[in-house]
Formats: sequence, C-alpha cells, structure tokens
Amino acid sequence: MEAIASVRPETLETQAAPAYINGSHALMKALLAEGVDTIFGYPGGAIMPVYDALYDYQEQLNHILVRHEQGAGHAAQGYARVTGRAGVCLVTSGPGATNLVTAIADALIDSTPLVCIVGQVAKKLLGTDAFQEADVMGVTMPITKWNYQITDANEVPEILSKAFYIAQSGRPGPVLIDMTKSAQLELMTKPYVYERCQSLVSYRPRLVPKQEQVEAAAKLINSAKRPYILVGHGVQIAKAEDELKTFAEKTGIPVATTLLGQSTIPTNHPLYVGWLGMHGNYGPNVMTDHADVIIAIGMRFDDRVTGDASKYIKQAKVVHIEIDPSEIDKIIRADAPVVGDAKAALNALLPLVKPNDHTVWRNEFRKYDAIENETITVPELTNTNGKIRMAEVIDMLSTKTKGESILVTDVGQHQMMASRYYQFRRPNSLVTSGGMGTMGFALPAAFGAQVGAPDRQVVAIIGDGCFQMTLQELGTIVQNKQPVKAIILNNNFLGMVRQWQQLFHERRYSFVELQNPDFITIAKGFGMAGQTCTERDNLSDALDTMLNYDGPFLLEVIVEKEENVFPMVPAGASVAQIRLK
Amino acid sequence: MTTNDHNNMTTYTICIFTENTIGLLNRITIIFTRRRINIESLTVSETERKGISRFTIVIKHESREEVEKLVRQIRKIVEVLAVFGYLNDEIVYNEIALFKISTSLGTKSLDVETINKHYKAWVVYWGLDYVVIEKTGNDTEIFEFFAYLKQYEILEFVRSGRVAVGKTEKGLVEYLPEAEWESYM
Repeated sequence: MEAIASVRPETLETQAAPAYINGSHALMKALLAEGVDTIFGYPGGAIMPVYDALYDYQEQLNHILVRHEQGAGHAAQGYARVTGRAGVCLVTSGPGATNLVTAIADALIDSTPLVCIVGQVAKKLLGTDAFQEADVMGVTMPITKWNYQITDANEVPEILSKAFYIAQSGRPGPVLIDMTKSAQLELMTKPYVYERCQSLVSYRPRLVPKQEQVEAAAKLINSAKRPYILVGHGVQIAKAEDELKTFAEKTGIPVATTLLGQSTIPTNHPLYVGWLGMHGNYGPNVMTDHADVIIAIGMRFDDRVTGDASKYIKQAKVVHIEIDPSEIDKIIRADAPVVGDAKAALNALLPLVKPNDHTVWRNEFRKYDAIENETITVPELTNTNGKIRMAEVIDMLSTKTKGESILVTDVGQHQMMASRYYQFRRPNSLVTSGGMGTMGFALPAAFGAQVGAPDRQVVAIIGDGCFQMTLQELGTIVQNKQPVKAIILNNNFLGMVRQWQQLFHERRYSFVELQNPDFITIAKGFGMAGQTCTERDNLSDALDTMLNYDGPFLLEVIVEKEENVFPMVPAGASVAQIRLK
Repeated sequence: MTTNDHNNMTTYTICIFTENTIGLLNRITIIFTRRRINIESLTVSETERKGISRFTIVIKHESREEVEKLVRQIRKIVEVLAVFGYLNDEIVYNEIALFKISTSLGTKSLDVETINKHYKAWVVYWGLDYVVIEKTGNDTEIFEFFAYLKQYEILEFVRSGRVAVGKTEKGLVEYLPEAEWESYM
C-alpha cells in the first residue's frame, strides 16, 4: 500500500510498462503446465498471495484443505504412491512447514515424489526472526532430494520445472520450494514462459543400464543353481510389474518381495514365495541363506530385511539392480551391480537369460510354508477362542474384496498383519510407511490414495495408537466426500512396542496401554458413519456394512489385547534366527 | 581440529565439483556430520570453469569402504557434478601457513637466510615490532617450520585448508558416473 501512495503523479502519466504476472500466478501456471490437478494444503500468512491466486484457478486445480499440514504431506504421499505422479503440498511458513517435516522424511526414505511449496517471510525479513520465520531450507536439507528458496518471481517457471523433474525422475523423492512472500507478490519482469525440464547438467539418473553390467548379471543368473529374486519398491515405481513377471516366468526363479514390494506380483502367482523381513514369511527369510545367486531388484537391503547384515547372504553372489548408485555396496556388496531403472534393466536382461526350471529349488520354500502354516497361520485364522484376532480381520477383508483393494496401513502390529494376510491381486495396492515407520500415516494417506485412485476401493488399516495421531483428517475425508473405509484394529495397546517389551524386556509394559476415546462417537462428530465390532460372529456383517456403505466409514474392531506377530527376526539377529513363537 | 585418536586412520582428500549455489556447503557437510566424520580441512574456490566450484575436503578414516560410500552419497546431491576421493599419493597438494613473529626489542633476531633457503618461506609483511612469514607446503613441512620457529615468539599461527589436484584422472570409485563427468561439461 505504501508503494502506491508514494507514486508521484507524473509517473502515472508516463506510458504503462507491459504488465507481467506475479509470482503466485506464475506458480499456478507452472503447476498446470506440470499436469497438476490436485493440491493438498493449508493456508497461512506467508502463503496468502498464492492462495489468492488459487482462488482464480479453482476450476483447474482441486485444492484440498486438510486439518494439519502433516495430513497434507501424507495425503500427497498416498496420492503419489497410487498415481506415480508427484503429490503437491502447499503450506505456510514456520509451523506450517515444520509440520510437514515428518511427511517429507517419510517420502525420502520410501522414494515418494512430492513437491512441497512452502511460504516464507518476505525477502527483506529473511534472517530477522520475523513472525513465523523458520529456516526451512536448513531444516529440510537433509530430508529432501532437493530444495530451493525462490526470492524472485522470475525464478518461478524454471525452478518449478526443475522441482517436478527432480521429484519424479530417477529414484523419486520429495522436493521443497521455499517461496518468499515478496516473490509471491512481485510481478515478473519478463514474460512468463514455461519449459518442462528434461535434464540437468549435474543430475543425470541412468535409466538404461550399461550393457556390460547387464551381461555380467545375465552370466551370473544363467549359472545359478539356486537363484532367488528379491523385489523392492523400485519395481512398482518403475511400473515394471509385467517385465518382472516375464523375467521370473522365463527363468523359473522364485520371487519374494520386501514390505514395500508387496503387490508387485499377485500373491497367488506360482513363482511368488512370500515376503521378506522382520515379520515376513518363514521360508522367504530363511531361504536367503540357501540361495547361490540373489537378484535384488529395486530394493536397498534395509535392516528390517537383512537382520544382521554381516551375516546376510554370505554364501550368495549378488546381482543388484538399482537406479540409485549410492545404494550399490551400501549394505551388501554386489558382485554384479546393474545401475538403471528396473523396467529398462529387466528388458535388457530378458533376452540374455536362459529359460530354466527351478521347481526342485522352489519346492524347498514350500517346506517352510508348511511349518509356518501349521504353527502360525492356520491357528491364527481358525482358532475361535478369545477375542477377534487382527489376522482374521485382514483375512476376511481380503476374501471379501477379492484382494483387489488398495490397502493403506499405519505402523505396528496391524501393519505387519495386513501385509501377512492380505492376498494382493493388483499392483500398487499397499501404501504403507516402510522406512520411516510413521505412526499416523494411514488415515491421511488413505485419503490421498482415494483421491488419486477414485475407481478403486481404498481401505485403511489403522491401530488405535496410530489413529489418534492424525484423526483430525476425518474432517478432510468427510468434507471432500471421499469413500475411504477405515478399520481400527483396537487392542488398547501400542501393540508392537508391547510385543517387544513382552519378548525382550520381561513383560515390563512401560507406557504402552492406552485409555482410548469412543472412536465411533468421534467419527460421528465429524459426520462420518461407523460402528464397532466386538464379536467374531458379527465380523463378517460388519465388514460387509463397511464395504457396501456409500461414503466414508469407520469400523472399529476390538481385537485380542496381547496378540503377537510372528514369525519374527529379533532386532540385530540374523535371518536364520527367525522365531516362530 | 579433532581430539580423536587417529591411529589406523588414513587421510583422504575428497574433491567435489559443484554448481555454485547458496547452501551447497551445508548440504555437503551434513553428509559428513550425519556419519560422524570430522572434517579436518575444507577449501572452496571457483574452478577454471565459471560457475563451477571445487570443494577440497580432508578427512581421516579407518575404512576405505566407508569413504567410498561417503563419496557416493555426496555424488547424489543434485548440484554436485563429480566427486573424487584420493589417497595422499594420488594427488599433488599444498597448504599455506602464516606466522606472525615478534621482533620487538630484546627478542632473538630472525635468521632470514635459513628461513628463505632452507625452509622456502618468505617474510611478506614487516610491522613495527613483528613480521609475517608465509610458508607453503604440505602439513609435515609446515609443522617442521613451526618447530623451527618455536625459538622465536610466535604471536599467531594460521594454516589454510589443503588444496589438491589429482595425478591421475580417476578417483577411488570407478563404476560411478564420476568416470563420465567430463562429458557433462
């Protein structure tokens, strides 16, 4: 306002300079140029010019008002995970930005593309401890793939195109753009021109692997007697599910997945043997010690997969197909590294690998399956003593949805149970916080997944502890009329911590019991339908009611208080030391 | 700079070529701090190519494997063009040191000839009651000179970080895009 008042009359009479758009409008145009149609956000002081511009773009950009910035972050993650495109968040400076931090860290470790646009105080106020000023660049530097502070409206087109390119290419990840209020307000001094970024001098992710690496890998695979494929999240990120299937079917090699690799291959595929990790299946874990060649695709040998890495797959030669070169040799030394996109790498490998039949070798997995079924799976699913068990709920849900739903899980026992008992039939169907293990992820992520995949049924599996971390997003779900189904598996405990305390801390249950609110009343308060199921006999009806409900629905299932998840590789133990009870 | 016991530690010189952008120093150093690796010295300057900076970072580490991983993590930063990790015998390197020596009345007079001819060091400034001597060389040479100068009153001593150029084109890590970095330019 001051600026206008101080304009001298004679300046007004001179010819008007060509009027260019301001930074906020440039931002809107850039988002549209990137094909963005959905934004998860929350307004505040330092982002208000952008929200003002957004008012003019409501027809093209569906802005979803969340209830907490963390919810915006996780919703954008859910959206990104099911669409493969960057999820976009828009929040204000200071607390708005710091509330987003957990979701950004989660997105980095689980390779999820996000573009987070964060307001910042005006350029002249930077570093003055202005209202709602935080050093968001400094805070997010270690947890973003890239971040940048825009202080000049002219930078908007170029930086936004870089942001989307970096977030979505190579190994995807979160990018943060810190945009000063002055850059949002000021006019560009040149015409707005947008060019989508195709490459950067200093950042060139390799998609097509080097032929010599592919040949070395093929040689190892062809010579293997007991080869074993470990599939990570990278295969789904690369949309290489079909290539994986073709590759496995040609070579006859058994396939296991990591937690985030789940749903890459249907669980009823004859070559699928199960999933890996601390609470993964018995055979898939133990058999890593018997393979002579491990073919790891788009996975990073997380410690939850390897157990004690110094004792992991020592006997095996390792083919490691991975787009991020820094993952090669990071945990497990690769004998044949193949740096490239999973799809391109599998396509390159396919003509070089020989058809094979590893039936005898594959059958060895089945021996362990029989033991796991007998000691864990069958009793968990058929025993009618006591309260409902989490396993039963997931199993029944899996049957009723024919394995076709997108499952979004939180973190803890229910997460492991969901992964154990849901029979995935379609790719990109498990959205879970793997690397970061962020409690409170599921509800907002399920919302985002539903927005991104309107044609699919999205079911959130949530623990009673997790639910209370982000339950305010029920409001977002209701306001946006998204038919998210949420199941709270309520054992009144922080179950996974309690399990560890039981097994490794002599049942010293230190601060894990919760006095819970009435979740259904809370849901109703938000205008969301819901019901509680306490009896086994009512479970089937309750699930039907939920699944058939036209709109969002919260189903609370009261489950066994002290149920444990097995198998379990104790922390720090080798996979061979996996426990069945 | 460090109180760590450096037994079994090897000195590595890491040369990082980057775009010249704000915040990059922070982005690079957090990779070291997260892994609890102490930076012994750090020098940044623009290279022969405009807009391209060169970081020279010296660390001591007991595991070559860990240094290789560190190099790859640095390479992952979007603005980083190339990273090379070197052992001492793979580089030509130097530092510069300045010594402020008291020449006030009653102090021992300087043997400038020995300083020039034996130590290849030069007096670069004469104050009223002190001189400033400049010495370039590797850390051993500088500390030898330091020991020699102890007979005088050393008012101040300051040493730069290491600057280094590789003797060969390749660094520690061979199968990463570093080998291709020239084609990036």
